[in-house]
Amino acid sequence: MAITLNIHRTVADKKWVQEYKVELKKGMTILEALNEIKAMQDPTLSFTASCRSSICGACAVRVNGNAELACEVLVEDLVKRYKSETLTVEPLGNFKVLRDLIVDWDPKFDRMKKIKPSLHPKKEFSPEKGCKQSIADFKKYDEYAGCILCGACVSECNKSTVDEKDFLDPFTFVKAAKLVLDSRSRDPKEHLQAVIDAGLWKCMKCQECTANCPKGLKPAEAIEKLHEATFKLGLTSSVGANHAKALYDDIYNTGRLDESKLSIQSEGLVAAALRAPFAMRLMKTGKLDPFEKVPVNPEINKIRDILKNAKEAE
Amino acid sequence: MMKYALFPGCVLEGAAKEAYMATKKVAVALGIELVEIPNWTCCGASHAQGVDELALIAINARNMAIAEGMGLPIMTVCNTCTLELRQAKAKLDSDKNLKAKVNEILAKSGYEYKGTSEITHLLWVLASNPNVFEGKITKPLKGVKVAGYYGCHLLRPPKVMNYEDGKNPESLEKIISILGATPVEFDFKLKCCGFHAFFTAERDVMTVTGEAVDSAAKAGADMMVTPCPLCQMQLDMYQPEGRAAVKSKVEIPVLHLPQLIGLAMGMSKEDMGINRHISAVEKIK
Ligand code: SF4
Ligand code: SF4
Ligand code: FES
Repeated sequence: MAITLNIHRTVADKKWVQEYKVELKKGMTILEALNEIKAMQDPTLSFTASCRSSICGACAVRVNGNAELACEVLVEDLVKRYKSETLTVEPLGNFKVLRDLIVDWDPKFDRMKKIKPSLHPKKEFSPEKGCKQSIADFKKYDEYAGCILCGACVSECNKSTVDEKDFLDPFTFVKAAKLVLDSRSRDPKEHLQAVIDAGLWKCMKCQECTANCPKGLKPAEAIEKLHEATFKLGLTSSVGANHAKALYDDIYNTGRLDESKLSIQSEGLVAAALRAPFAMRLMKTGKLDPFEKVPVNPEINKIRDILKNAKEAE
Repeated sequence: MMKYALFPGCVLEGAAKEAYMATKKVAVALGIELVEIPNWTCCGASHAQGVDELALIAINARNMAIAEGMGLPIMTVCNTCTLELRQAKAKLDSDKNLKAKVNEILAKSGYEYKGTSEITHLLWVLASNPNVFEGKITKPLKGVKVAGYYGCHLLRPPKVMNYEDGKNPESLEKIISILGATPVEFDFKLKCCGFHAFFTAERDVMTVTGEAVDSAAKAGADMMVTPCPLCQMQLDMYQPEGRAAVKSKVEIPVLHLPQLIGLAMGMSKEDMGINRHISAVEKIK
């Protein structure tokens, strides 16, 4: 079976989509297809790859709108998934394109510097005594050490697509979670404050990053862990933290969220007042009823105990 | 007869009351029995989790424990509720220590989480049981072009939300076709409505909201339908701001999934509470 790859090409200022046909072989990866095109059909096609075993992170591209590791993903699986013998291959999204499928990492690394991405060990550690931690402490961040910096997680990130300037790349949040959760770190608060300042609470929770990570890391969950850390380390003065706390408190107070109060709890009274015209629109059709009281759950004491006992269990 | 423990979720008791109305009426008409889980609480809505994850796993373990006591699988009608419940379940079922820890917390309040109730969503139930529609579509939506908008949390993360391939799902189109309407492909079908970042990234949120609506309108859709009440609220209530953000001209109605089903079963626009919506209500006949 011959498959068609429509490859998005960029050379200097020129952009176009070029069609290539490749004979599908069993077990053929996207990278093998690209290599074959380059060797047999078009030596000008440019892409990057190195390890061919999902380790170096150099080969990520976007196929039919979703980021993939070219050296890992099988063409036959994609043909099955999209029920089509024609696939579209593009460079990763939310990157500057250098040429064809090659993207520029330099701006990403510059952005990463905002979180001061290196671990400073606690004072008690020394070359003589070493830098030990318990297995339980190691497990808190171990998973995040598996990031291969392939960039797949940011390709479809909905927040980054709209505006990345006041946000970080999902892989940078992963790195930050590692720095904040590592018990050997001397300055988790400093890292965390830097992450808050760089847009921690602006994540849209779309889960695209987690869905696309070829190493099974969960950047969206790393962001949640960082949210949690803001409460544990007492760095919570922000609209995002207020909103999360307002929901938590609603569960504590009644068991259910109270829509009529949410805006005030999250944003403060003045900002909430600015939403009044919007609230009027909702009241007109009956969507919002400011006088409606959320009933208190009959089992509220048990619910409160669960919240309290969970907090103590940590 | 199919029977489920219903987890309605907060917004179905509040701003999306019409979705609850429509769900109940449509379920009865399709012969699906729904029993509301007594004394359920908010699932955390993906926000309270950011305050204390363990506490919210325990809170959802309580929700599930009550349904287990009813001996029924759980059905939800909100993407985020489905995700939060399934996420808690996945974590509890794959980690013995966590399960023991959570059960210790629950025991003090008199509950036990066993892990015996599966968690599903209305869309999944219907897509797996298309036979429930047999002979019931009395007013097929002939010629109506419908853009099915899935919403993130019914598709991702794929390990937890694994009913179908989240990168090329088909369940919603399948239901739209059963109802006699024509599913419309559009670029924003699997993208994010922005709801969860409303308070923190408002400008960006209005942009994605506007883009979703605009993308459906440009593809020729007469209306949008979504299995998620949060997406519905975002795309309907904030459509004026969203459209302004992307300079889109066409206003388009956004229905909850059970409302679209009800219309195809001959129920009225009023029965389905569509007059409670904000955008282009008059375009629904
Ligand atoms: S969950 Fe947040 S970080 Fe991840 S892709 Fe979505 S917006 Fe980006
Ligand atoms: S988090 Fe996953 S997807 Fe993102 S760069 Fe690291 S390995 Fe790649
Ligand atoms: S070539 Fe190294 S990860 Fe694909």
